Amino acid sequence: MKDRKLLFRIGALAICVIVAAVMLVIGRGHTIYLDNKTVEDYNGQSYSAFHKVVITVKGEEVAKLGKRERGMSTWMGQNFRMTLEITEQKGDDPVIKEVDVKLPYSVDGIIINLPALLAGLPEEAWFDEFIPAPEPDISEELPGEGDEFGFGDEMGMEGENLGM
Amino acid sequence: MGNTNQGAALGKSRLRGLVDQYGLPRLIITGFLLFLFILAPIGGADLPTQITNVINRFSWNSVLVLAMVPMVHAGCGLNFGLPLGILAGLLGATLSIEMGYTGGISFFMAIVIATPFALLLGGGYGLLLNRIKGGEMMVATYVGFSSVSFMCMMWLLIPYTNPSIVMAYTGVGLRNTFSLENFYANVLSDFWKIDLRNYNINLIIPTGTLLFFALLALIMWAFLHTKTGTAMTAVGSNPTFAKASGINVDRIRLLSVVLSTWLGAVGILVYQQGFGFVQLYTAPHFMAMPTVAAILIGGASVNKASIANVVIGTILFQGLMTMTPTVMNALIHMDMSEVIRQIVSNGMIVYALTRKEGAR
Amino acid sequence: MSGTKSVSEQAVNLLRNNIVPLMFIIICSICIPLSGFTPGYLINEIVTRMGRNIFLILSLLIPIMAGMGLNFGMTLGAMAGMLALIFVTDWQIWGIPGIVLAMLLSIPFSVLLGLMCGKLMNMAKGREMILGYILNYFVTGLYQLVVLYMMGSIIPIMHASIRLPRGFGIRTTVSLANMRRSLDNQFALYVGKVKIPVLTFIVIGLLCLFIVWFRRTKLGQDMRAVGQDMEVARAAGIKVERTRIIAIIMSTIFAGFGMIIYLQNMGNFPTCTAHSQVGMFCIAALLMGGASVEKASIGNVFLGVILFHTMFIVAPKAGAAITGDPMIGEFFRVFVSYGVITVALIMYESKKRRAKSQGGALLALAQREQEGGAQA
Repeated sequence: MKDRKLLFRIGALAICVIVAAVMLVIGRGHTIYLDNKTVEDYNGQSYSAFHKVVITVKGEEVAKLGKRERGMSTWMGQNFRMTLEITEQKGDDPVIKEVDVKLPYSVDGIIINLPALLAGLPEEAWFDEFIPAPEPDISEELPGEGDEFGFGDEMGMEGENLGM
Repeated sequence: MGNTNQGAALGKSRLRGLVDQYGLPRLIITGFLLFLFILAPIGGADLPTQITNVINRFSWNSVLVLAMVPMVHAGCGLNFGLPLGILAGLLGATLSIEMGYTGGISFFMAIVIATPFALLLGGGYGLLLNRIKGGEMMVATYVGFSSVSFMCMMWLLIPYTNPSIVMAYTGVGLRNTFSLENFYANVLSDFWKIDLRNYNINLIIPTGTLLFFALLALIMWAFLHTKTGTAMTAVGSNPTFAKASGINVDRIRLLSVVLSTWLGAVGILVYQQGFGFVQLYTAPHFMAMPTVAAILIGGASVNKASIANVVIGTILFQGLMTMTPTVMNALIHMDMSEVIRQIVSNGMIVYALTRKEGAR
Repeated sequence: MSGTKSVSEQAVNLLRNNIVPLMFIIICSICIPLSGFTPGYLINEIVTRMGRNIFLILSLLIPIMAGMGLNFGMTLGAMAGMLALIFVTDWQIWGIPGIVLAMLLSIPFSVLLGLMCGKLMNMAKGREMILGYILNYFVTGLYQLVVLYMMGSIIPIMHASIRLPRGFGIRTTVSLANMRRSLDNQFALYVGKVKIPVLTFIVIGLLCLFIVWFRRTKLGQDMRAVGQDMEVARAAGIKVERTRIIAIIMSTIFAGFGMIIYLQNMGNFPTCTAHSQVGMFCIAALLMGGASVEKASIGNVFLGVILFHTMFIVAPKAGAAITGDPMIGEFFRVFVSYGVITVALIMYESKKRRAKSQGGALLALAQREQEGGAQA
């Protein structure tokens, strides 16, 4: 009886850990920036931007890019999939392509250069990490540096103003 | 019998508190405070300024802390319902100003006007607490909260007209905070004030306020030694015994609550005259906890408190309040004082509540 | 105590037992027309708030069952949930996986805090409520110490976006933009203008089922026995202290989950103060639903949420309509929230005292009878 109980507990704990691990993998969010820009001189060759690209992620149109434009999408997990509707030159018929990209787990913001990606170049050609500009050093108001006892806003309302 | 017990307890409570393991938290806090005083000059903080701050804060808060004593004595527990007394004081303050009193007279009138309110509110509160013996503290907390929020409405609804206290643009309802400059700011503390700034020492002692507190404390001490006072102690320490020896327990408890409430009213007025401003609306909410924490740090327990506890507790607590930020800032350029204050004071209350002897 | 009850007595009892909800139904029915809200808007708001709050309030039921009163210490669980959410935000886990991970992550924090709370409450029997109430401020201090000073300096925080510019500590608000309403929006149904967060309600339903099931288990029965009479339970071989601690731990864990559900609906939260009012609101809502300090059911929770939030939504506007000042309405609803808790506590304490004196009288009677030699 005691052994069964212990086993049961270890099992429950294991399930929790496994679920947590799975969540860590499938829930990892990435912000993806999609560039339609000409890549100048990669190994002596340049890949010019498309006339127009329409990007659809999960059935939702996230961006319609002309030349030198950047679109943005978010994705959970590491297997990013998008559908591109590419018009290469003005007047061409659009070509629809489905593209899968493997996203690195540790990077939050990922810049993908579409012309380079579609030309089948190696990762270093189309991949870039998006580093947000350092924010200006605003000294934020810290709670509880006043003369009060630091009990906060006891009488305050339930977060009415918080994104309702 | 009661007298000697009381006297002995007064004399011994400090020593015993320090030696006894129950006084450990207080010992730590005292040690910490001494440590801060030693560190202050090293960190570049001016010691006389610090002492001035502590004394000032002590003078503002001591009467409020004193207001804890009668209720604790009569076994009504820690007075989390202090906001009720504060509200009576606020009514006194605002009405006295509304009636057009200025200067020192306004302080006296504020006390006079606050008194009937304190008696009335305290009486009702006392009758209520008599019906719920044993569960006073939780009810007191929420009686305080609901009366404060009720008065929030009243501050808006009572037709005050004095332009120096009503809201500037609408003219209806009282301001959140108003200055007492033309009224009773510093009336007590300017009395016989000792100011050493002329001798290049930044030390100011608000003698008047200290004397006022001393007077009230003396009266309280004397009262506790009268027949009624000893009866109160008896009710607090052993209600069954008190009842058996013919004391009207309910009446004594009622008296203690009224006394506490009145002292709370006077306490907030003293606080205001030192602070220089009257804070209305939600401000009374924040007054009960530090006060309770202060008397507990002074070595009181849920059903035992003395004048010495008040004095020691207020000095320690206010010392902690004023010293930590300055010293912390001077030493590590980081102000953790708020967090430390919260942990220490509430930890102290938690500790007092879990003490065995406090349980009845 | 007396054996028979007349019909009128029963009617009075029924009325007395439901006086609080009745009063609020009346207040609400006066205020709703005055507020001038459309029914669609009102119902939508109430359904949203139900989804957001019920889980939290349900967490209060178990300690009540164990006779520990209203668990003012539930905010400890809320803090555990917030800690977990900060980590999950930092690790950039989004959406429902983020919520699930936050819930799992909150469990160890909740267990730890609940254990502490339960142990302390065992040291202060009969004063559980005030202790829980103060403990919540004490732990808030510890929480702030961790969040404002340790995170980023001792505990690694990767993302500059949630860290303060000074390099350690968390910003005043934590944004849950990538998690916002992901639970509510999954399978959401729209009936007219009313959005029903189906998945949230399923989660709530699961907890209700769990509570119903739990009441029938051995542990649940033990808890009720402890709630009835600690000494009798102890004599019956129940480990009273342990049972009480488990009750508090369970409550804390559920409060943590509840807080996560609550905050995913809000979409962001003030790092240091999000929990401070949660306990008050939940307890007020539960009491408005007709619960008392020693008895509460799932029905009380649902009724209470509806009444409380109806009042909460309409009071400012109704107050403004009556007095011409919206602030009055704001203060009024706060006053009512505090007032209902006060009244419930007074009723509970005076009843407890009556029962005690009655018990004392009975005991005295029994003793006298024993002395007389006539044993009953």
